[in-house]
This record gives sequence, structure tokens and C-alpha cells, in this order.
Amino acid sequence: MKQIYLLLTLSLIIGIGALLSTRFIEPPLGEGDSAIHIFNWGEYIDPDLLDQFTEETGIRVVYETFDSNEAMLVKINQGGTSYDLAIPSEYMVEKMQERDMLIEIDHEQLPNLEHIGEQFLGLDFDPENKYSVPYFWGTVGVLFHPDKTDLDFTEWDMLWDESLRNEILLVDSAREVMGFSLNSMGESLNETDPDKLDAAFQKLVELAPNIRGVVGDEIMQMMINNESIAAVIWSGSARDVMWENEELDYVVPEGGSNLWFDTFVIPETANNIDGAHQFINFMLDPENAAQNADYVGYSTPNDAGLLLLDESEQEDTRFYPTDAQQETLEVYKNLGLENLGIYNELFLKFKMNLE
Amino acid sequence: MKLTGRLFLIIMLIVLYLPIFYLAYYSFNSAGTMNEFESFTFDYYLSVFQDSRLMVILMNTISVALISSVVATIVGICGALSLYFLKSSKIRASLLNINNIMIVSPDVIIGASFLILFTFLGISLGSVSVILAHIAFSIPIVVLMILPKLYEMNTSLLDAARDLGATPSLILSRVVLPQIKPGILAGFFMALTYSLDDFAVSFFVTGSGFSVLSVEIYAMARQGISLEINAISTMIFLIVLTIVLIYYFLSTRKTVKRGDLS
Repeated sequence: MKQIYLLLTLSLIIGIGALLSTRFIEPPLGEGDSAIHIFNWGEYIDPDLLDQFTEETGIRVVYETFDSNEAMLVKINQGGTSYDLAIPSEYMVEKMQERDMLIEIDHEQLPNLEHIGEQFLGLDFDPENKYSVPYFWGTVGVLFHPDKTDLDFTEWDMLWDESLRNEILLVDSAREVMGFSLNSMGESLNETDPDKLDAAFQKLVELAPNIRGVVGDEIMQMMINNESIAAVIWSGSARDVMWENEELDYVVPEGGSNLWFDTFVIPETANNIDGAHQFINFMLDPENAAQNADYVGYSTPNDAGLLLLDESEQEDTRFYPTDAQQETLEVYKNLGLENLGIYNELFLKFKMNLE
Repeated sequence: MKLTGRLFLIIMLIVLYLPIFYLAYYSFNSAGTMNEFESFTFDYYLSVFQDSRLMVILMNTISVALISSVVATIVGICGALSLYFLKSSKIRASLLNINNIMIVSPDVIIGASFLILFTFLGISLGSVSVILAHIAFSIPIVVLMILPKLYEMNTSLLDAARDLGATPSLILSRVVLPQIKPGILAGFFMALTYSLDDFAVSFFVTGSGFSVLSVEIYAMARQGISLEINAISTMIFLIVLTIVLIYYFLSTRKTVKRGDLS
């Protein structure tokens, strides 16, 4: 019996000791300490910048991570947390705004906002950028293996090519999949005309023999392992995959695609609103934006920061499309529940049509 | 038959352990990816140790696991004992079912309900909420580990002790507890491993800068696996291996010293 007592007491002592030891690794916040709580995607910021921010402003950064917009929404919505800054994607900004979960951003406190390219401001999901400031942006395109196919995917229609039998992966997301089908027909990916949506659905059904799977996050690992020739995927994920598997290439087909954003927002749970503004402004500084873009690898909306990146990077039209290409990109509009329902329903029908 | 049995065992062990060794192997790869092994390096381990945020999270994980399993073991012993000594078998069966429901219900549901409960009670998310949640989902496992040992116990031992004039507390500490010791050990270590690898519940109840490894690794893995994750996972594997060895040591010593009832 002594063993058990010993085991339990020892475990308790080590446990409490480990908990206390964290105080020495990172001193806890005292009463007077100023700090901001940031809620971000995993591996989505250069950690050196956090230290630099603390050095410059004296504000400590408490950093937490999430892995999906929905998970973030639940954590913030439920309360019990006090995040001063979060980084959701644009559709989630809209949702949070509808639920009155966001605090207006004071543009006067953000002098560095001028560095953000005009084409990235005032978009549909937040017309006056009242609640959000763009952090990174990207597109939807085709990630493919150039050695295994002669197609270059400059047109969406090439996905329908017979040589790609059972070789295409799609992300499991209604708007993206319906969107590229609409784009391939020269329509807008915000189309609400039921006939056109139905035509897009019919076209997707024709694509069915080429589709290997409609998958979630696994799509990245599957592409890294060369399990498929092509995948319709977000540029950010494509970038991550191409770091692991250098044989792959990414292209945004002509005829339109989606323009997505991850943005800074200040949730209503914030305690340190000034600190949050300071942090946004700090990240908008061209040098910091460039350093961060270099670390994360996504496309920065910071025009001045972009000029500080390597030229090869700046001229990479796969991730920084030319102005002409950018014209064809569209942000998702909030189509309302009813239309979204149609999108989801058609997408579901399409998935059920697959083998 | 003997040969096929052994072959089956070997194949099973390979299937079980190959991924872990594969992962550990590449944690020493200087190339930075899991594609080709270039040369041996400790860089990823160093960068884990230099990253004070990760170190704090590692410490948090260990302390949550230890504290929650100690408390869960103690509560679980009490729970198993009261179930065992219950007079009405109907109540016992229904209580046992309630206990089992906790084990079979999806972690996501347990996690979400804890989140709602904690915010309702005004407990702010952080170390306390995580430890409480881990204690709660560990208790049913401990109970389930101990109960069979109680039923294996020879009841005449209890009668004999009573006849010889032992007080109830003496019976408990000198007769019952030593009899169920293997169950207690198993329960404790099961609770420890459950706590270490739990993601879903922890995700909901972490907050205020307090995080545990599983949550952190899950968020990191979104960007593809970086070799730092390999390094941490290898370390965790070694820690668990040590725990198992301690358990093995503790549970086999009993058979050597048969007379050990005190």
C-alpha cells in the first residue's frame, strides 16, 4: 500500500511543481502588466514579431491557436475567454458581425493602414472595414503535378479532360466547388439564378468520373504524397503543400476565382482594445508585414511590405496575380440563407452522385 | 499454429509501432522534411526547448495529467467502493450505467458541455477548468478499473477481519485497498494516458493563455507536420514509455513479495 500512497503523493507534488515551474519560464501577468490575448490559426505568425512587439510597446502577448473558423467561433461566442484579437476568415467576419460579436476598429489608431492595397479594402464582407483589417489573402486554384499531365490548367474546363479519370481531389466546401463550376461557364461565383446554379450542378455531375475524392484537410497530405494529379484547393494550402512537395505547381485558372481573406478582428470580449489596435498597427508596418509574409508564406495585402520581399516572390504571379488577373477574382458575397441553402443542397446532391 | 501466432504478433507489433519509430527517426533529420534523411541533428529538440511557449505548454500538459489522475484515482476508489457496498442491485446497475455513459459519449459533447457549464458557473477558462474537466472524464475509467478487482476479492476476508475485531477503517486500509491495488494502479495509469492524449475536451476548456500539447499540436499540424512536432511527440512517447515501465515495475513486484499486505 505504501507504494500507492508514495505514487499518488509524488505525482501530485511533481504535478504542482510543474505547474509552478511555468511561472519561472514565463512570468505570469501581474496586476499592472499590460497584455493582449491573441487567438490565431496555428503556425500563422512569425513568433519573433511577438517578442519584438513586446519590446517596442511593453505589452505582453498571450498567444493561443485554433484550427478552424468554427472552433474559434464557439470559443469566443461562449464567453469565458478574453481574446483581444482574433484572425478569422472573411465569411466568418460576416457571421460574427451579424451576431454582434465584434468591436468597431478605430482607423485613426491605425496610421499604417495606408500600406494596405486599395483593392483589398472596402470589400463586400465589410464594406467600410469597420470590423476587419486584412491579414493575408489568397485565391482558389488548381494544384497539380506538371510531370504527370500535359494540361496546364489555365482554364477551369481542363479539369473535365478525359485524361484525368479518377485523378482530381476537391476541397469539401460548397461555395468553392460550385464556384469553380460557375466560373468555368463564365458566370460569377456569387450567382443566385437557380437555372444557372442548376447548370453548374449538371456540369459538376459530368466531372464526377474524374473525381477521386471530396476531402477535408487531408487533401494536403494526399497531395504531398502524390496520391492524385490535381486538386482544387486554396492558394494558402497549396503553398504549404508545395513546400513539402516541390514537384507540384499551382495555377489560378482564367475565367475567375475566389479571393479570400484572413483578417484581424477585435471580439467584443476584448479587455485591451488599445493594445489590440497597437498590435494591428504594428503588424501593418511594411517591414513587419514583409517579415511575417516571409515566415508564413501566404500573400500579404500590404503593398509597401510586398516591395520589401524578394523579387522572385513579388513576381510570382501564382500567389501575387497580375492586376488583370485580380480583376477576375471575386469575394464571396453573403447570399443569404436561402441561396446558401441552394448551394449546399446542390453540392450535397453532387457528392451523393459520386461513387 | 504456434508459428502463425508468433508471426501474427510480430506483424501486429510492427503495425502498431512503425509509425512512431518512423516519426521519431525523422525528428533527427536535418533536411527539415520527412521525405529524405539527410544527416543527424538535435536542432528540433533544441528549438523545442528554446521555445518558452512550447515549454510552458509541455509543463502544463504534464501537470494537468498528474494532478487530474491523482484526484480522479482517489475519487474513483471512493466511487468503486460505494458501488460495491450498495445494497440495492438496481441502483447499483443504474449508477454503473451512468458511469459507463461518460466513457462512451463522444469527447466533443463532453467538452462542449463543460464549456457551457464553466461559463455558466463563471469559472474562467484556464488551468482550473482544464484540470476539473480531466478529473471528470478520468473518474469513470478509474471506477471501471477498480470494480472488477473488488468483485474478485474473497468476501470471507472481510468477515474474518471483522471477527478479529478490526474497525471499518482498518478493514479498508489493511484488507480492501491492498486487494484492489492492481486496479488502482491500472486506473491511475489509464487516467494519466487519457489525460495526455485528450484533444477534444481540452480544446473546449483551455483558455486565458493556458494550453495543452494536444491542442497546440493540432493547430500546428494544420500547416503540415513540422519536425518540431516529431520532436515533441518523440519526447511524449518516451515519457509514456517511462510511465509504463514504472507501472510494470510496480505491478510485478507484488508477485515477488507475496506476503505484502500492508
